[in-house]
Amino acid sequence: MALLQIAEPGQSTVPHQHRLAAGIDLGTTNSLVASVKSGLAETLLDTDEQDILPSIVSYQADGVLVGQRAKQFAITDPENTIVSVKRLIGRSLADITSKYPTLPYKFCGDQQHPSLDTRRGEINPVQVSAEILSTLVARATSALGGELEGVVITVPAYFDDAQRQSTKDAATLAGVTVLRLLNEPTAAAVAYGLDSKQEGVIAVYDLGGGTFDISILRLTQGVFEVLATGGDSALGGDDFDNALVAHLLAQANLSRPLSSTMERQVLNQACAAKETLSAAPSATVNLTLEDGNEYVGTINRTTFDGLIKALIAKTLRSCRRSIKDAGVSVSDICEVVMVGGSTRIPLVRSEVSQYFNRQALTSIDPDKVVAIGAAIQADVLAGNKPDSDLLLLDVIPLSLGLETMGGLVEKVISRNTTIPVAKAQEFTTFKDGQTAMAIHVLQGERELVDDCRSLARFELRGIPPMTAGAAHIRVTFKVDADGLLSVSAMEKSSGVESSIEVKPSFGLDEDDIIKMLKDSMTNAKEDMAARMLKEQQVEAARVYENVGAAIAADGDKLLTTDELSAINESLENLLTTSQTSEIAKIEKAIEQVDKITAAFAERRMDASIRTALAGHSVDEV
Amino acid sequence: MNYFELFGLEAEFSLDLNELSSAYQALQKTVHPDRFAHSSSQEQLLSVQKSAEINDAFNLLKQPITRGEYILKLRGTELASEQQTLQDVDFLMEQMELHEMLGDIKHASDVDAALFAAQETLDVQSQHLWQQFEQLLTDDNQQNNHKAAELLRKLKFYKKLQIELERIEDALFDD
Repeated sequence: MALLQIAEPGQSTVPHQHRLAAGIDLGTTNSLVASVKSGLAETLLDTDEQDILPSIVSYQADGVLVGQRAKQFAITDPENTIVSVKRLIGRSLADITSKYPTLPYKFCGDQQHPSLDTRRGEINPVQVSAEILSTLVARATSALGGELEGVVITVPAYFDDAQRQSTKDAATLAGVTVLRLLNEPTAAAVAYGLDSKQEGVIAVYDLGGGTFDISILRLTQGVFEVLATGGDSALGGDDFDNALVAHLLAQANLSRPLSSTMERQVLNQACAAKETLSAAPSATVNLTLEDGNEYVGTINRTTFDGLIKALIAKTLRSCRRSIKDAGVSVSDICEVVMVGGSTRIPLVRSEVSQYFNRQALTSIDPDKVVAIGAAIQADVLAGNKPDSDLLLLDVIPLSLGLETMGGLVEKVISRNTTIPVAKAQEFTTFKDGQTAMAIHVLQGERELVDDCRSLARFELRGIPPMTAGAAHIRVTFKVDADGLLSVSAMEKSSGVESSIEVKPSFGLDEDDIIKMLKDSMTNAKEDMAARMLKEQQVEAARVYENVGAAIAADGDKLLTTDELSAINESLENLLTTSQTSEIAKIEKAIEQVDKITAAFAERRMDASIRTALAGHSVDEV
Repeated sequence: MNYFELFGLEAEFSLDLNELSSAYQALQKTVHPDRFAHSSSQEQLLSVQKSAEINDAFNLLKQPITRGEYILKLRGTELASEQQTLQDVDFLMEQMELHEMLGDIKHASDVDAALFAAQETLDVQSQHLWQQFEQLLTDDNQQNNHKAAELLRKLKFYKKLQIELERIEDALFDD
């Protein structure tokens, strides 16, 4: 493979080099990819001139089909055709079967890591999502004419840690760099906010195929500050379909259990009828029954509205709670943005407009608005807009805590806390001489462990034996800008420090991902090595370039001559090493540069904080 | 550097929330991880740490109870722990009555009016304590600071009542 080019320090960043980046809306029903081209964010088309990719993956004997080509197998081959995989990702089998009892798939794997048994073997939800992501990334690569620097992938704001982590794992599996996981409503706000230069408090009502999100944001001078977010990660257009399916079954005198082909047929008809009803007062339903007879029925909008009214009311209750959490009132909200295909339903629009007491905004296509917002963010994150004011300050949707004695949850970080965030809490031992402690990490608002989502369990061992209550165990929760959690624990009273990182109890661990990556490649070993080498070389180039730029900017102010020459020496070494193919040595050379520039990096960060404050006070005067 | 200094503000209880908020945004525009998405992992790590620290500071200063607590801490007065019981018997009796008032809301003939009245009572009483608290802080001496710390502990009781009231309201609306 060709060696990466590395510029000389100081002349590193080519000023107008455009880095390719894309925003991906990985939806329950449909997925899209968008990018900023000559200043404008637009969705990218496939070879058939379509921008919407149905989120359907079909495992056929002669290959894996994605999107429209997979859709045709949804009815004829439901066991091997995965629809709405987003409802399965990052969830336990018990979760899935209780929420969606009529899914046509054959589940296998264990409780925590459910897989689907297809004719191409066991496939887990992360792999299915990776297929969709790969398809979209390939589309973007060909439309933009080059490898992507990275992508922004949107997730429902209400996704918990396991669902977010699994989405990121899917990207890893698809071989694409994730610049950021972005909350869908925030993405929509960006698409609208930048368009209208709006200032003030806005609400984003996002009702997609499988999830509902409500976010309340404050917009000021390019800053999108999420005040509160809420919703339901298992409520969406699919539930409207299901309500309609139940109605149709009763009308057609059909009773469950039905064959999976029949289930899919009824579902498809319900879905089509729902879409028709958004524009027409009534819709016709045709079913081919098992005995070969035809069933023809009609449904009118009033009946449909009656079926879904309770579901909409449920979303409005979430709205009320989030408005309260945000510390604002309905009258403070100056704009309501509608996102997601389900907001096309007339009753949804009218109920929401009535609740917020204003006409909801639908000027950007609700199917595309999330992808467009993600593309704008991706463009900024890739570094194409160094002077951009855009900044997104997002929050965690659900509280994070630990199990304490008696099966209770002690909250460490409460919901709607702005990320990134790091919080530590101290705990102590329960028994004399206790040398280990079980740490159980939970997510949710309820007080009892059983009512919250279990995220991870790990043990802190090697606590020196002491009397009960004497040990000081400091547990630190860190949530990064993607909303992903890492937890570490440490015993500090004795001076003995031991810490450990979380292992996810849901989804996949690192080894699983590496194994799947290997499996997915034909010449496994060479490909893996090549990929790892490339990753290290890219990181080396990045470090070299950044340190060079930093020296050019601040070297004379913040470094002594000795420090400067030490840094330059380590950079020389990095440059030489990165041209070899020895992964471990490159890694070591990067570490060395990191170590030797650590103090410099801190000084630069502190200096930039001072500059920001100074500039800020000047503005105030 | 203390949290007030971090935002370039005087260590005063009655700070201008708009000023705090705009200083916060200016800082986040500089250090937020989104500004470092294409930087080295070292810079990304540093940015996450700084950004988290600024979020923490902002969160603490923007809420009156934690801001008051922080000012007292800067003055060398720590609040007694939650486990240590409050000695003021009259106050505790009042608190019990307030709890009963909240408990009675769902049985009221006019629930909305009862909610409104309860909110009014909590607001008036806690407002009164806040005024005393601010007054005490104007003169920085040990005796005043201890009294202020005691008031802050009482205000935490009101905070809990407020949360309870909101929970009751939620439950009424959700049915």
